[in-house]
Amino acid sequence: MNSSPGRFSRRGAPKKVIMKYALYLGCSIPIKYPGFEAATRLVCEKLEIELVDLSFSCCPPSTSMKQVHYGSWLALAARNLCVAEEAGLDLLTLCSGCVNTLKEANHILKENDSKRRRVNRVLKSVNHRFEGTIEVTHILDVLCQDSVQDKIKALKARDIPLRMGAHYGCHYFRPSAVMKPQVLDEDEYPLPMHMDELLSFIGAEPIQFGRKYLCCGMPLGANMDQDAGYALTREKLFHIRASNVQALSVVCPSCFEQFDMGQIILGRKYKEKDHIPTFYLTQLLGLYMGMSPTEVGMDVHRIKTRKLLKTIGIE
Amino acid sequence: MKENLEERERDFESNDLRIGVYVCHCGKNIGGTVRCEEVAEFAKDLPGVALAADSLYMCSEPGQEQIKSDIKEHQLNRVVVASCTPRLHEPTFRAACESAGLNQYLMEMANIREHCSWVHLHDKDSATEKAKDLVAMSVSRVSRLVPQHELTVPVARKALVIGGGVAGIQSALDMADAGYKVYLVEKSGSIGGRMAQIDKTFPTMDCSICILAPKMSEVGRHPNIELLTLADVQDVSGHVGNFRVKVLKKARYVSDECTSCGDCVDPCPQLVPDEFEAGLSFRKAIHIPFPQAVPSKFRIDMENCLNKEGIVACDKCYRACEHKCIHFGDRDETIDLEVGTIVVATGVDVFDPRGLTEFGYARFPNVITTLEFERLINAGGPTSGELIRPSNRLRPKKIAFIQCIGSRSKRSNPYCSNVCCMNTIKDSLLIKEHWPDTEITVFYIDIRAFGKGFEDLFNRSRREGVSYIRGIPGEIVEDLETKDLTLIGENTLLGRRYRHHADMVILSVGIKPSTNTGGVQRLLNLSTDIDGFYMEAHPKLRPVDTTTGGVFLAGTAEGPKDIKDSVTQASAAASRANILMSKGEVQIPAITAKIDADKCNACGLCARVCPYHAIVGSKEQGYYRVIEAMCQGCGACVPECKFGALDQTHFTNDQIVSQLDQALAHDPNNKILAFACNWCSYAGADFAGVSRMQYPHNVRIIRTMCSGRVSPKWIERAFLKGVGAVLVSGCHLADCHYNHANQQTVKRLERFWKRMERNGINKDRLRLAWISAAEGAQFAQVIHDMAAGLTKITPAEISQTIERLEKIAKKKGSLT
Amino acid sequence: MTDMVVRTGLSRKDIYECYQCARCTGSCPALEVRPDAYGPRETILRWLDQGRDKLTRDKHIWLCCTCNVCEERCPQMLPISDLLTDLRNLAARRGNIPDRLAAAIRLLAVTGRTMIVHQLDEMRAHHGLEPLPPAAAEEVRAILKETGLDEVIEF
Repeated sequence: MNSSPGRFSRRGAPKKVIMKYALYLGCSIPIKYPGFEAATRLVCEKLEIELVDLSFSCCPPSTSMKQVHYGSWLALAARNLCVAEEAGLDLLTLCSGCVNTLKEANHILKENDSKRRRVNRVLKSVNHRFEGTIEVTHILDVLCQDSVQDKIKALKARDIPLRMGAHYGCHYFRPSAVMKPQVLDEDEYPLPMHMDELLSFIGAEPIQFGRKYLCCGMPLGANMDQDAGYALTREKLFHIRASNVQALSVVCPSCFEQFDMGQIILGRKYKEKDHIPTFYLTQLLGLYMGMSPTEVGMDVHRIKTRKLLKTIGIE
Repeated sequence: MKENLEERERDFESNDLRIGVYVCHCGKNIGGTVRCEEVAEFAKDLPGVALAADSLYMCSEPGQEQIKSDIKEHQLNRVVVASCTPRLHEPTFRAACESAGLNQYLMEMANIREHCSWVHLHDKDSATEKAKDLVAMSVSRVSRLVPQHELTVPVARKALVIGGGVAGIQSALDMADAGYKVYLVEKSGSIGGRMAQIDKTFPTMDCSICILAPKMSEVGRHPNIELLTLADVQDVSGHVGNFRVKVLKKARYVSDECTSCGDCVDPCPQLVPDEFEAGLSFRKAIHIPFPQAVPSKFRIDMENCLNKEGIVACDKCYRACEHKCIHFGDRDETIDLEVGTIVVATGVDVFDPRGLTEFGYARFPNVITTLEFERLINAGGPTSGELIRPSNRLRPKKIAFIQCIGSRSKRSNPYCSNVCCMNTIKDSLLIKEHWPDTEITVFYIDIRAFGKGFEDLFNRSRREGVSYIRGIPGEIVEDLETKDLTLIGENTLLGRRYRHHADMVILSVGIKPSTNTGGVQRLLNLSTDIDGFYMEAHPKLRPVDTTTGGVFLAGTAEGPKDIKDSVTQASAAASRANILMSKGEVQIPAITAKIDADKCNACGLCARVCPYHAIVGSKEQGYYRVIEAMCQGCGACVPECKFGALDQTHFTNDQIVSQLDQALAHDPNNKILAFACNWCSYAGADFAGVSRMQYPHNVRIIRTMCSGRVSPKWIERAFLKGVGAVLVSGCHLADCHYNHANQQTVKRLERFWKRMERNGINKDRLRLAWISAAEGAQFAQVIHDMAAGLTKITPAEISQTIERLEKIAKKKGSLT
Repeated sequence: MTDMVVRTGLSRKDIYECYQCARCTGSCPALEVRPDAYGPRETILRWLDQGRDKLTRDKHIWLCCTCNVCEERCPQMLPISDLLTDLRNLAARRGNIPDRLAAAIRLLAVTGRTMIVHQLDEMRAHHGLEPLPPAAAEEVRAILKETGLDEVIEF
């Protein structure tokens, strides 16, 4: 579990090298944070990862639909899986919430005959049929593949020498039995470290801060009590600040919102000004490959990144 | 002695069978489900039955008296007791028969409790019908039993104790004091085990090493005890009374002249984490395990010494030693021992809480285990008894204990480790004694203070101001600067969350069976339960015996327990061993294989499959024969013989086939005929009964000593009789009680399956299941599965099978 | 599919092994910031002692982050997440569902997404992105009619 920073360890036997995916954007990123989408597309283009856009719908979130109507959750998730299956492509998600839903649904439908039969009966009315032929992955997992590692290195334009805190987001890696990515060793779970390794690979210093795997609070905030959600974010920030983290790296737009918008709201409430900028992972990779902050969509961050990036020579 | 027996015994060779059948109610245990009077009535009409009665408790004094008086009054020459498992009371009823003059091998038990009433609690009709079947099977078998006389073999008056902790020490002393020679084998450099590492013991708050050291000294100088340290048991052969043991004694590199002066320590350049100090400090490559070690000799840990493979690169210790007792040229030696009895006392290791990442052990310096605490607070430990925080070496002011770490959890060890609650209570008092101003909080789920003086100690702890909060923390958070800790959890009694601040956290870790015991389990054919603790022969009545004759258990190797219970059990084990050694002889069960020389064709196939090489002979000689003293009675050789020359005493083909015929006399299509081996599967089925696991009533179990005894001819006969399905069940492949006899089972069944396939017989109707003595649930599940499968097998299919088999029988003789 | 459960047959036999150690609640983020939340331990205790039905009428069961830490840390390996999900599904069926959540799901049923689109294409163009393709709202609606979501939430 504790690998030395700066070493991007190769784990497990080499899996099939896939460089073409159906891009699953989800709802938040294309609508609220298109900058992440832009950064991802640019980075993938440079890495020669082909992204195909298909007619997807909302995943739907396990924090909302699954809790209210499990059958609908499974059926809608199945629909999205079918769309990818029909194109013969694995799904690449950009959001912890989406990967949680789609991966878990994929797993359930593959394993459970009676659930699969029921869902297929529903999908018949919209001309889909779940066969269980594809896998679901997340951009973080793809970027940690061995073959991609070499390409990233080859595209290096500059290091990102910041003290970074990696926040995975609960839904990305829990429940660990289902969520662990095929490309990585089992030892990583339930406490993954591969984003930390990726960060050190691009020249950052991954900082281990307290309560690193604590939930950002978004589901609680969205469903029931916004203040309570931000209170959790505040708890995390307390530990993040204590470790002198300069910026956060996330792989989920909900977590991003909790840290970005959240700090603004918390700042107003508690009269705090010392905000820590948050980056979406592909934005960091974009910077590493020489893109400008504007190109990777940093202008719309509520907490401005300009000042911090200037300190490491990025304008 | 033998003459008396023959005199007392009556002549039972006559064809006039007079069988007495006794159906036990066992209170409500059997009587509550099976209609015992009805079963007894039914038994009256079975061939050869002279009388049949039912009774409340057959194993009681009046019950046994009834059997004895009936034998005399009614001239009974066979007895069937339908009651509990023979693994419990066979000796009881055998003794009763013997004392009434009836040869003990003419008594048979029908298991209508563990295999019937307890597992079919809600189907009284089926249970009663099944009980009748089982009684009929036993009556049929007992009719064919003949009197047997057990062979007597001498017991060597020497014992082997494996493991030098307090249990091993106590056992060794008890046997040595009784006058027997004892070899005490200990894998580390000194005896003492876990107890030597502890500071104080509960509930008396005695200094642990102070009460242990005198016993250790006694072992060291006892004329009857030969202490072999740095030694491992490599091989064991033989049987009760006569074990041949190979011990590997690793080189110490320091001779017996060593006076433990310690001059060699300073010059040694190699630092190694000290295992005795739980890794909290360093020792040198040359070291004495701890100051009170017995033997009080230094040793060189060659793994960490600079000298290897006989090449002397560093001789600093050699030069420092005045007595010149360091010899780099020492070699490991193999020692051969002959002993009559063995006591296994291999002890436990402590759970490593690294895997429970939420507690931060090995990441946060001020989170330690209770074992590390023992060393810190011990005056002879790395800090001379000063309790300090590893981060800044200052005394902690607020300590938190967390209970049940690595215990009571499916994620680590599911059992309760017995000692941790009392250990923490003791620790809390120790701390208060030295530093009364320390705030101590114990986070628990339950406090188990069950023993003598335990509740009192718990009260004392609370009187001294230790708080107890019910609710294990979800996680521990560390303050980066101070390295203080915050425990986040819920106080369940208040229903309120807490954020408890402490400057030191002590994890009360559980104990688990020692790994690294050199394969003792396999060598001695011992069973372990699911958690890895050795299984006793019977949990209530034979708590220190194992199923291997002459091998006994002592201490935590058998299950987590404290020092008092370890010592008690050790004395018990010694006492059991002493019985064998004082008698000087032991009876070998009369279940050995026998070869009919007339029929023997000297092909030698039987000799090849015998795990004990107990069959000798040659083609030239023209015959083979069984060496009775070496035969363990597995019966794996019998099905091998194609000439019908081999049979197993008391488990003859005739006897078992009669059980089979009787089992399938009525409604065979709906029956599952199960062959279960005595040591594992039959015991597993018993366990299912004891645990009241319910399963379908279709199964009829026939006991053999080993699954290797099962002959494919029986399976074929069962199919010819119209059985629904057959189950052959034995120990797991690596765990066969008879070494590897169950490999024969696999071979024979695979051959049989092939032939079934070739002849269009559904292979699912013959199933092989490896079920251990602890796997009651698995046994029940197999029966569930097979009973469900039965519903898919049509009568048409069954009669078709019979037709095919009959055709083959006409053509070739048989399927097998 | 309103009757579909996460794990078939989840009942008392799955949760009786809870010995109330409170490791789950000790790890629960929701309870940390909303002390009035029940947390998994209390929810299970209420289930065992008071019955499931009473719980389904209780609003507190929605105070959950669905972060899954409770299940990860439970020593008895109880299927806590599945249990709570089923509990909430049942509660929703009986009308116990937070307003905001119901609104979000209604939006999804109608538009195929959980977010409302305002001047989206312009914003996307600013980042060099194509306009967002439609969300297959028709298919989503059709599926949700088949699964019976409207038995729980009107749309």
